[in-house]
Amino acid sequence: MRSLGTQFTIATTLAWRNLWRNHRRTLVMLAAIVVGVWAMILFGALMRGMLDEMVRGGLNSLPGEVQIHNPQYRDDPSIENSMAPPAGELLASLDRAPITAWTARIKVPGMLASERDNRGLMLLGVDPAGEVALGFDPKDIVEGRFLESASDRGIVIGRRMAERLETELGKRVVVMSQDLNNEVADRGVRVVGIFRARLQADEESRAWLGRDAMQELLGAGDAVSEIAVTGNDYKAVDDWWQGLAESAGPELETLPWQQLQPFLDSMFRAQGSVNAVLTVIIFLALSFGLVNTLVMAVFERVREIGLMMALGMKPASVMYQVLLESLYLLALGLIIGNVLAVATLWPMRNGIDISVVGEGLEMAGMGSTLYPVLAWQDMLGSTLIVLILGLLASLLPAWRASRLDPVQALTRN
Amino acid sequence: MKRLLLLLLAFPLMAVAQADETDPRAIIRQAMDHWRGTTSYSDMTMLIHRPDWERSMSMRAWTQGDKHSLVRVTAPSRDAGNGTLMIDNKLWTYTPKINRVIKVPSSMMGQSWMGSDLSNDDISKSTDIIDQYEHSLVETRVDNGHTVHVIQSIPHEEAAVVWGREVLSIRDDGVLLEHQFWDQDGVLVKRMHATQVTEMGGRTVARVLRMENLEEPGRWTEMRLESAEFDLALPDNIFTLSNLRNPRQ
Repeated sequence: MRSLGTQFTIATTLAWRNLWRNHRRTLVMLAAIVVGVWAMILFGALMRGMLDEMVRGGLNSLPGEVQIHNPQYRDDPSIENSMAPPAGELLASLDRAPITAWTARIKVPGMLASERDNRGLMLLGVDPAGEVALGFDPKDIVEGRFLESASDRGIVIGRRMAERLETELGKRVVVMSQDLNNEVADRGVRVVGIFRARLQADEESRAWLGRDAMQELLGAGDAVSEIAVTGNDYKAVDDWWQGLAESAGPELETLPWQQLQPFLDSMFRAQGSVNAVLTVIIFLALSFGLVNTLVMAVFERVREIGLMMALGMKPASVMYQVLLESLYLLALGLIIGNVLAVATLWPMRNGIDISVVGEGLEMAGMGSTLYPVLAWQDMLGSTLIVLILGLLASLLPAWRASRLDPVQALTRN
Repeated sequence: MKRLLLLLLAFPLMAVAQADETDPRAIIRQAMDHWRGTTSYSDMTMLIHRPDWERSMSMRAWTQGDKHSLVRVTAPSRDAGNGTLMIDNKLWTYTPKINRVIKVPSSMMGQSWMGSDLSNDDISKSTDIIDQYEHSLVETRVDNGHTVHVIQSIPHEEAAVVWGREVLSIRDDGVLLEHQFWDQDGVLVKRMHATQVTEMGGRTVARVLRMENLEEPGRWTEMRLESAEFDLALPDNIFTLSNLRNPRQ
């Protein structure tokens, strides 16, 4: 027992001291590991921030983390495929935690016409209070006002749409859609507000009208096309959406955002793997340097290792000692790298203004501010990958050191 | 074709049953009423003019009252056989090349009809829309021995009309001389006006009707009436989808 403990102490001391015998080489290697780890974590945090932004942006334009529809609605979003407003059990579960907000809306394709142009878009008949609770930001109204109530008879259109139609606040436009009998339903409405969106495409892909006014136009009674629900945490949706689906019953289709926006979901899932692959690639390059350092360290110490073995050190202990040396180097690099990464990200926690390149990024569904997200999974993941790959790479020089023949090693110059 | 044909063939019998001349709405309404139950058959040419090219199409049109009409292209051979059927506010087109009847969806009603300056809405919108305006008589003038009423029509707040106001000049014998479309800033955007008012098929009609967009000079479409017959017996099946696809006349 005692000898084992002593052996351990000797091995750790030797490994630590050996590490600093050629401190310049060690420092260079350490710097390489630090930069690698730092870059991996920083990159991971930026990517995660971008992704988070995309998912949230996507959900805002959905919006709602879970939506309930008539089962035919998603194939044919016409007013025919509408449903009765929530009542009974469904209403009760909508008002229960963890659901923080929900709203029922009419959402049908339609047309908007002005004197000079006409364009197709999604007409949203909404209850403005519900939309604001769900995530619509009234600050996005750049001119005029948002709808005042569900019975508001005005329309709020996007800034880009106003440009396309050559119309402006206070003017009349004509909305057109199909009513329950597949007949043209049209009406003049006054533009009461103009909104901006993070994505220009959103500014011309939808317009907001009062829900009552839309129901009246389409002859839809009190039917709605969509119930949008949020719990204010898109990652936690899996905990509650099935329960809601049960209360909605089999006649209605209840889906979480992962299924409504499979694109966002697959990006979200892919992100973890992308990070891991990048970490592995960066570290594979690093590990060549690491192997080289250790091979040199062993090569320089052939006689010394021979002496230790001649004095009775077991080959396993020699291997153990070299591995320990590598472990020290890796651990130091990881600690410094992680600390440095956190220190770099800290000043960026309130977002990085990327509006300089924002126009291009907008196409990818991003806004002009990037909020890095530091996830402990990323830090832990890269730390583990570096440790495991590093030790694997060190196995070869360590094994070669342990295979040395003491007599030959001692006589080598 | 309702509105367009109505305008093209004018408001017949107007002079016979004179409305109260001070009520602009009655002037229009009565003209419409007289149109009801009338049938017509006409040959016409549509001339589409652009700054660098021009093309014409010959067509035949049948109408019955203001709810039914059918238009068929006869020349050039490239377009021959294309048909448009209108019943109420609904519009169907038939193209022999693809052998399909297509109902024009509401989303396409604002688009151009056969490449002309007329939109699908222009040719199909029902005359019922007259109720969605506030009409006022702004001027009465004498022109070539006829009294011309200039009526300004301002759409109601929720009327499905994009214009700020429309101005119609109607002659006392019912011929619509001019129809102006003004935007909400008071800019004249589109203008349709009639020339060569003559007798045809026993009625007073305007032979040429030109629609032009004033914001795009050099672009206009003219409908020229070559011949017209009125109050003829039309077979019952003429305004049907099957007749649109398989012409029987």
